[in-house]
Amino acid sequence: MFKKLVLSALVLMLVFGFTGCQQQAKEETIKIGFFGALSGDQAVWGQADRDGLILTVEQINAAGGILGKPVELVIYDDKGDQLEAVNVVKRLINEDKVSAIIGCNSSGRNIAVAPVAEEGKVPVISTFATNPRVTVPEEGKLMEYTFRVCFIDPYSGDVTARFAWDDLGAKKAAVLYEISSDYSVGVRDFFTQAWTDLGGEIVADEAFKTGDVDFRAQLTTIKDSNPDVIVMPFLYKEVALAAKQARELGITATMLGGDGWPSTALLEMAADAVEGSYFINHADVDAPNVQEWREQFKERFGSDIEINSLMSHDAMMMIKAAIENANSSEPQAIRDALHTLKGVEGFSGTINIDPETHNPMGKAAVIIEIKDGKFQFFKQFEPMQ
Amino acid sequence: MTMILQQLINGISIGAVYALIAVGYSLVYSVLNFSNFAHGEILMLGSYIGFFALTLLKVPFAVAIGMAVIGAGLLAILMEKIGYRALRVRHAPLLYFMISAMGLSIFLQNFTIVTIGPNFRTYPDVLPITPYALGALSIGRLDVMIFVITAISLALLTWLVYKTKLGSGIRAASYNMTVASLMGINPDLIVAIVFMLAGGTAGIGGVLFGMKYTVYPWMGTLTIKAFIAAVVGGLGSLPGAVLGAFVLGVTETFAAAFVSSEFRDLFSYTLMILIIILRPAGLLGTLTQEKA
Repeated sequence: MFKKLVLSALVLMLVFGFTGCQQQAKEETIKIGFFGALSGDQAVWGQADRDGLILTVEQINAAGGILGKPVELVIYDDKGDQLEAVNVVKRLINEDKVSAIIGCNSSGRNIAVAPVAEEGKVPVISTFATNPRVTVPEEGKLMEYTFRVCFIDPYSGDVTARFAWDDLGAKKAAVLYEISSDYSVGVRDFFTQAWTDLGGEIVADEAFKTGDVDFRAQLTTIKDSNPDVIVMPFLYKEVALAAKQARELGITATMLGGDGWPSTALLEMAADAVEGSYFINHADVDAPNVQEWREQFKERFGSDIEINSLMSHDAMMMIKAAIENANSSEPQAIRDALHTLKGVEGFSGTINIDPETHNPMGKAAVIIEIKDGKFQFFKQFEPMQ
Repeated sequence: MTMILQQLINGISIGAVYALIAVGYSLVYSVLNFSNFAHGEILMLGSYIGFFALTLLKVPFAVAIGMAVIGAGLLAILMEKIGYRALRVRHAPLLYFMISAMGLSIFLQNFTIVTIGPNFRTYPDVLPITPYALGALSIGRLDVMIFVITAISLALLTWLVYKTKLGSGIRAASYNMTVASLMGINPDLIVAIVFMLAGGTAGIGGVLFGMKYTVYPWMGTLTIKAFIAAVVGGLGSLPGAVLGAFVLGVTETFAAAFVSSEFRDLFSYTLMILIIILRPAGLLGTLTQEKA
């Protein structure tokens, strides 16, 4: 008897559950999908991406939506895993039937997801995937449905090299990189190229594997090579551990990083060890034009923004502009409008999509210095060509 | 020369952490003849206990270690009661134990992610970051402490297993549980004590590991290296586990430093496989039917 009761209750719940869904679908909304690492070691960024997007969508809806329709978000966790990312993107396209997708913060996952977007013919805008192969997998081939908001690794490697050479006066550089990350290997290659072109010397080139926690073997070799700067293009958790271990080994060289660094977690974890280091970033959270939104964000979520929140905001603004330009929320129409999108004002600068590469043109990097235990704006570089 | 010595120090300090974890695998294997793959999660929970004891309760460091040891030990006993006892009583095939262990491991990881959160947490500074300097060599204060604590724990454990009546009971059970129980040894009690000891070492390991490399829900996966060390040293042998741990720590470090950091794992694990092929029982183990 009891079993029957439970069973019928379950059936009722399912029935009501489904009718509930159908009723929702009847009112016209524009469905936008999101995927990102909401758990795992990249959760800090995935959550920042998601929250920036939620706030942006709430603000768009409060102002009357897009083409008079409210925006509905469908959010999935990819756990920072490539296979999981492919699964949730398939689900967004085939089951949720979203108009466009925003995500994610990693080159590896966006490279994995790009063919799925091609097949499903739904545009994907990545917030933070900086490897060139995300949109252009090989010379002359373009991923028609993949776009991005951020600048790319060749520019970032180039800026790192010029900054170390011109501003820091360094001559000898050591590189520590994550061999199993598309992003890290990319920046390392482009930096090495730019650095040797400038006349600099690479005195050590050391690798580690994702998940490693001890870098002392590599750092001891680096110490022995006596570099002026150590380039560390990987994510904040490994940066924190490597920086601490480097200081423990008595390494005093200036550490240089990329857009994997900015997270308040880095400052909590590595405190003094990263003091005096610099990193390249996409935007400055302390810029005047961001402050009003930053306050709204703090009020909404009770936490401060990360750069990612700005990037997902900008990605959503691109989709909004594309839908308005196309006067349609069909995935194909959005993708065609994104292909030639120009003049979208975002927090990370004005976004003009290059139809040849689907990268934003003319975006400038900023250099952030870690000083007095805080991220501080140091200088802005000239835009990428 | 300085370089070789410094790398040796690095390797030994990595090996010390592996050693403390590897003995946990070996202890359980010696009595139950299977590898407790949820051992890493006990280490993770021990690490969280130590972390919260230091940050929320603000107890002195020694007390925090004590709480982690007792807490992780009790959790290990609980885990045995929930995950393994029913299988043990029914004399289930060893494969079932492995599957139960993997299930527990995944459950505990996800349980921690949901309850405590996926973030990395940093232990408060117990020791200053400035290392001891020996000429051009530098030795981290934390490494020295880890080495000392590991040495003391292993010495205590060895004394307990080889010099006490309780230890005789454990060793008797490790030869033959059925015969030992005929001799008046309570198998349930022995198993509980073994899990308590293994859990306790995992608790210490967790605190030391957390201090060195931060605390996070999936930190237990790193203990797979300690498991490999235990196999290389000879599963079921405590001195073997310790030897295997130092061999692995130093091999990894030297491979990264003098072969290539890109091929570190490829090189060091090829070497480990070679050792197993040449000495199937491990460096100090005695040959048994099933290894893992």
